[in-house]
Amino acid sequence: MHFVPNVAGVTIAFGVLASIAATIYWMLHPPSTASDRAATATERDISEIIGSVIIVFSQEIHSEHMLSLAVRLARRERAELLAAYIIEVPRTLPLDAEMELEHREALGVLQVAESIGRKNNVEILTDVVRTRNVAQGVLELAKRKDAHLIVLGGYREGKYTGAPMARAIEVIASQAPCDVLIGIQGNKGKILTPPVSDKRSKTVPAEQPTQL
Amino acid sequence: MAASVAARAPAEPSLRRAVTPWGSFSWGYSDVGADIFVGLGLVLGAAAGASNVAFLFAGLVYVCIGLAYTELAAAYPVAGGGQYFVFRGLGDIFGFIAGWAVLLDFTIDIVLFAWSSIDYLSKLVPILSFTAHPWVHFVVVFVVITGLALLNIIGVRESSAFNELVSGLDIVSETSILFFGFFFAFQPQLLVHTMQLSWPTTFNLMNGVSLAIISFVGLESISQAAQETQRPASVIPRTSISLILTILIFALSYSNLALGMQPWHALPLDAHGHTQPLWRYLGNEENNGSAVAVLASYVPYFGALAALYVPLLGAILLLISSNSGVFGSSRIAYAMSGTQLLPSAFQRVHKKFRTPALSISVFCGVAIVELIFAALPSLSPHVHALYARLFRGEDGITFLGDLYAFGAAASYSFVFIALISLRFNDSQSPRRFKMPFNIPITFRGNRVEFPVVAVIGFIGIASILVFTMITHEIGRIAGPTWLILGTIGYLFYRRRKRLPVFRSQPHDWRKAQINILQSAGELEMMDEYLVNIRRMDERRVAEHIGPL
Repeated sequence: MHFVPNVAGVTIAFGVLASIAATIYWMLHPPSTASDRAATATERDISEIIGSVIIVFSQEIHSEHMLSLAVRLARRERAELLAAYIIEVPRTLPLDAEMELEHREALGVLQVAESIGRKNNVEILTDVVRTRNVAQGVLELAKRKDAHLIVLGGYREGKYTGAPMARAIEVIASQAPCDVLIGIQGNKGKILTPPVSDKRSKTVPAEQPTQL
Repeated sequence: MAASVAARAPAEPSLRRAVTPWGSFSWGYSDVGADIFVGLGLVLGAAAGASNVAFLFAGLVYVCIGLAYTELAAAYPVAGGGQYFVFRGLGDIFGFIAGWAVLLDFTIDIVLFAWSSIDYLSKLVPILSFTAHPWVHFVVVFVVITGLALLNIIGVRESSAFNELVSGLDIVSETSILFFGFFFAFQPQLLVHTMQLSWPTTFNLMNGVSLAIISFVGLESISQAAQETQRPASVIPRTSISLILTILIFALSYSNLALGMQPWHALPLDAHGHTQPLWRYLGNEENNGSAVAVLASYVPYFGALAALYVPLLGAILLLISSNSGVFGSSRIAYAMSGTQLLPSAFQRVHKKFRTPALSISVFCGVAIVELIFAALPSLSPHVHALYARLFRGEDGITFLGDLYAFGAAASYSFVFIALISLRFNDSQSPRRFKMPFNIPITFRGNRVEFPVVAVIGFIGIASILVFTMITHEIGRIAGPTWLILGTIGYLFYRRRKRLPVFRSQPHDWRKAQINILQSAGELEMMDEYLVNIRRMDERRVAEHIGPL
């Protein structure tokens, strides 16, 4: 049997379809409460504020545990993320002196940063900065890159647990031209403390010889 | 005491607010959405060419009911639904009667939907057919009810995600059936012709209207999930209104399509060898339990696919609805027991499974008794003759429909009165949603809004209750008997416990309301409520002291 659609039938058919679709759409978009609106405004402010984020590494600033957090923040806020490894060159050496161990350490750390970024679909820019003073190096970098946020990890290496904030961190925090986010791993913390297997870069002090 | 129970709630582990807008909707949809699968065939069988009119009348009453439930569930986001609203608005004894009527509905819900679920499955597995193999059908429904009872005692429930998935699939499926049905095969002139030629008698139209209301029962579910819904005051009005609209669109569309659709294939001849129209074929004893699946199979082109999956989808949705009857009855009994409307035994939980095993067993037991009454005429020719003499030969599913309509109409009637009462006696509670068309008046110094739609709804549902009493031989006897026996039991229990028999116990509703809003996360409403009651108290003090 062949069926020829009737105008009234076709109109009702589309009417049913449209009314059900409209009803479901309307239902799934309920009005927001004051708390929802406040939360949305705060998030919007953050997304406007956070334009570029620098995550800093150095011999005394271990930010590996902050990487994942920074990457997620950058992804969510679509911020630019720069992972910078600051190499402090002693004044006895020229600024461009070859510092093989430190450089290798920097490459390793930045590779991990890139890998985390790739997994989270965030493009991370990396940079190795040579400077006479870590704190000054970070501050200059932040100024140069017009950073909105500097992310730093605390200094927790067993014997220093009583003073997790290295001197450089204190200087950066007090003189930074932008916001500074410092993450300190708790003794039994779980959020910022990576699993044992991931502690390579943190537990191998940069001062020790590294197998190349 | 409700107030003290609510007062303790925040300190104790409470239900997690994890139900999203879609979750809240599907919670209600898996209950109400299943009704049309049962109601369509029954209404077509009774109201014939005026089935669409019967659905329209019941649908308008249902809109009023839905608006009432929406207002109350948003103002009092607490598990309990209609029973709680009546308890709060009209006091203990009416709270009991409304809850007892809801319990009747839940027990019928268990049987009716399990019965219809098997009817739908029989379209794929013919041995389950009620007309061809009544004993097999009876045994399978019995096993299903017993199985659901055991699963609920053990504590196994379908997951919310499963509910949401089935509801989503069903909405897509039903919309597709209607879309293709209207698109390819709807003939307006056939609809007019059928309505003119097959217009029923007034008695049958009343019967059809009273059966049509069963297509709209189940809004309770959204109210009962209120305590677990995120931002209930803003989400529940949306989900309730969406549910009302969706079900109304489906019910009106199905009834008009059934009356005005040109079937894809020729229909089988009737028992007398005559050709029959589609609506009559859908409403006969063989198909009235699975009318949506049969209709879907006669939709041009799409019917080829629909015939394969609609029986299964319908059976699953009906099974979920049946299970919600098992769960809901034990939950209501538990809540009523907590407010000393039922003996404390109904609050007892199983030592091992931590479920209200006694409540589940009792109400599933009642459901099985109802099943036996419904199935007897088909199992025994003697009983069939007896039913024919006493009850105009009502068949099993119509018997269940009778009681379902009675329980729903009775409990909804009380909900309307409770809403009016609460507007007067609890005008301080903020209402994020109000039924439209209100008349502002002053009552005891308070400005209140008299809900006109609640009065219209009450008249509508009361008339459906009257239709049920007039047209349903069994419902007329069994429904009131259930309520009378329950009320006698309540009076006896309250007297034995030395509790007020006809009056209510003292309740601290203010404290209860603050705790309800606080645990609902509706802090703005709580602030508004506190301001309202402070103003009222100040005014009362000023009136009492007089001008300085």
